[in-house]
Amino acid sequence: MRRLSGRLRSALIIGLQGIRARKMRTLLSMVSLFLGVLAVVVVQAGASIADKALLSDIELTSAVDGTTIINLQMQPKATGIVLDTLHERSDAVAMLGVQAIIGEPNVAPVNPGASPFDEDWGGGVVCYGNGPCQPADAQPKGQAVEVRLTAMTGDVRPFRPLRPRTGQWLDFTTVPAMAPRIVVNREAAKGFERYQVPAEMRIGGAAANVTPQFVGVVDDGDAQPRAYVRLDELTTWLPETGLADPNSGGEMQVLVSPGSPVEQVLTAKLKGIGAETWTETVDAKKQMESQLKLLRLVFLAMAGLVLLIGVAGILNVGLATVGERVEEFALRRAVGTPRMLLAGIVLAETLLTGLFTAAVAIGLSAAGLRAVSVLVGDSEPFLRDLQFPWEAGIAGIIAGLVAGLLGGFIPALRAAGIPIATVMRA
Amino acid sequence: MSALIELTGITKVLKGQQEPRTILAGVNLTVQPGESVAIVGRSGSGKSTLLSVLGLFDRPDEGSYLLAGEDISRLPERKAAKLRSSHFGFVFQRFFLLKHLTAAQNVAMALVNGQGWLPRRERRARVLQALDQVGIAHLAKNRPARMSGGEQQRVAIARALVREPRVLLADEPTGALDTETGTAVIDALLGATERGCGLVLVTHDRDHAARMGRTLDLVDGVLTERVPA
Ligand SMILES: Nc1ncnc2c1ncn2[C@@H]1O[C@H](COP(=O)(O)OP(=O)(O)O)[C@@H](O)[C@H]1O
Ligand SMILES: [Mg+2]
Repeated sequence: MRRLSGRLRSALIIGLQGIRARKMRTLLSMVSLFLGVLAVVVVQAGASIADKALLSDIELTSAVDGTTIINLQMQPKATGIVLDTLHERSDAVAMLGVQAIIGEPNVAPVNPGASPFDEDWGGGVVCYGNGPCQPADAQPKGQAVEVRLTAMTGDVRPFRPLRPRTGQWLDFTTVPAMAPRIVVNREAAKGFERYQVPAEMRIGGAAANVTPQFVGVVDDGDAQPRAYVRLDELTTWLPETGLADPNSGGEMQVLVSPGSPVEQVLTAKLKGIGAETWTETVDAKKQMESQLKLLRLVFLAMAGLVLLIGVAGILNVGLATVGERVEEFALRRAVGTPRMLLAGIVLAETLLTGLFTAAVAIGLSAAGLRAVSVLVGDSEPFLRDLQFPWEAGIAGIIAGLVAGLLGGFIPALRAAGIPIATVMRA
Repeated sequence: MSALIELTGITKVLKGQQEPRTILAGVNLTVQPGESVAIVGRSGSGKSTLLSVLGLFDRPDEGSYLLAGEDISRLPERKAAKLRSSHFGFVFQRFFLLKHLTAAQNVAMALVNGQGWLPRRERRARVLQALDQVGIAHLAKNRPARMSGGEQQRVAIARALVREPRVLLADEPTGALDTETGTAVIDALLGATERGCGLVLVTHDRDHAARMGRTLDLVDGVLTERVPA
């Protein structure tokens, strides 16, 4: 132990003396290595950021990693079973989807079928309170917007982190309000902004039209106009059986936390009444890997190539330096410095060079990312609040060390092999 | 008590691209503690080769080498490096000072060699003592470029003495110096023998050789005692 620390300290002293005596060379090595390390850092940073963006995209549009999603066929009994099973539970939430038209009574919506506002899906069916349904184009289009209305048994955001944009998200802790509070997604908000509709909501199967209260806007990653509502505020007006009516375009989805017993209990119960279910578990990693793997590989290969050029630079400078220091190394051997230590000193110098380069490259990349984030963060929301990914820092340090090792290896061997007798002969 | 150095029948054959050439052909040499020995001989007679065998830079092809009674003729390099550090001091014709280091740092490099570790304070004390021993303590902070040849060679001697070696090996240490500075360098080397260090000096200078206890002539790869005329 003591011997090792003595060697280490000696190596440190000699290495630092060497670097100080040859600052220019160290700088040149760093310059030749810089682009390669920078490329590795940038590629890794890009990959990490893309991964994160993709992951949050998956979480936004389907659910957080590991969540089990049960889709079920609508039928009146099934709704009851689901609501009973989920009652007072926090490890699962059900979402019931129906069509709803918000706006002036007795007109067709501007977007039949809840299509995005810049597309026209055409057709669609309009239903009235307690009345029959008829094709949407049977009536003149007017001051109304059709949305996909999602009613939730509890807060969905722990399962699917919808991003609040303006206003508030639904509060599930209060007593249900008489006028259902709704939160719309961005596409729906766009519609309401464009068509100033009076707020009255028609839902297929509802006992009467209701006047909703808009409380906020969220980003749900969906291109279709959507609105979110507490199920218990909706059922005041609309019987659960009405929600479950396949004729009114109903659908149901249950999101279950990993490890929750709800999945088994629910599927067993539903099987009992003959309702079909489709279950999937969100595996974000698998989804992401297939998407980015090849691209990342290509970029990393390119970065590796640039790094290799840097290694050649270090190697070149290293060999020249050892050639220049033949007498010094022979002398050091003569005074008893072990060959391993000499090799270690040369290697330590190139490794330090690699580390310095990595530090500079990481610092510059982090600063560059900050600048990009500040400059274009307003127009590209995903570039806002970007953190420099630690994986990129690690990759840079590894690249610097590997380059130092590769570039220093041969010079180190040379240094260790210098014969004393021939050099010192008078 | 065994001798400090005892060479018996040392041979060294040079195997280059040409015919193998025998440089040392059975050298016998005994050096006692505190003894000084001069080795003289024509250029190319193998004096430096003999010193590199003595200093464990090189291994002999045949023969035995005892250091204080211990056989070190076939020592592995790791142990040889350790012995070079602990038992030997070297002085060469060229001074081999590192020009980016001060005199003190040049001397300290024999202490900072991965063989044992001395705290900074002790290192500095030893370096100053060694510089003082050769009479140039006042030059400790100077770099080689600002010293005369004699001063530089004395820094080199201080570097050789700083670990208090048992044997000093000097290969034509005055070859690049004028007579007067050369004499001062020999004084410094002889000073070490007073503390029991053995000295083997290769020289072309008769006067310097005459100041040693004995003078040996290397002829045809063999050492012969030169009877004082
Ligand atoms: N590295 C070497 N390669 C080839 N020949 C060498 C080498 N070193 C020494 N010699 C030869 O070995 C002989 C002895 O050299 P050396 O010991 O340096 O003699 P001296 O020091 O007495 O002048 C010389 O003839 C020299 O040419
Ligand atoms: Mg010679």
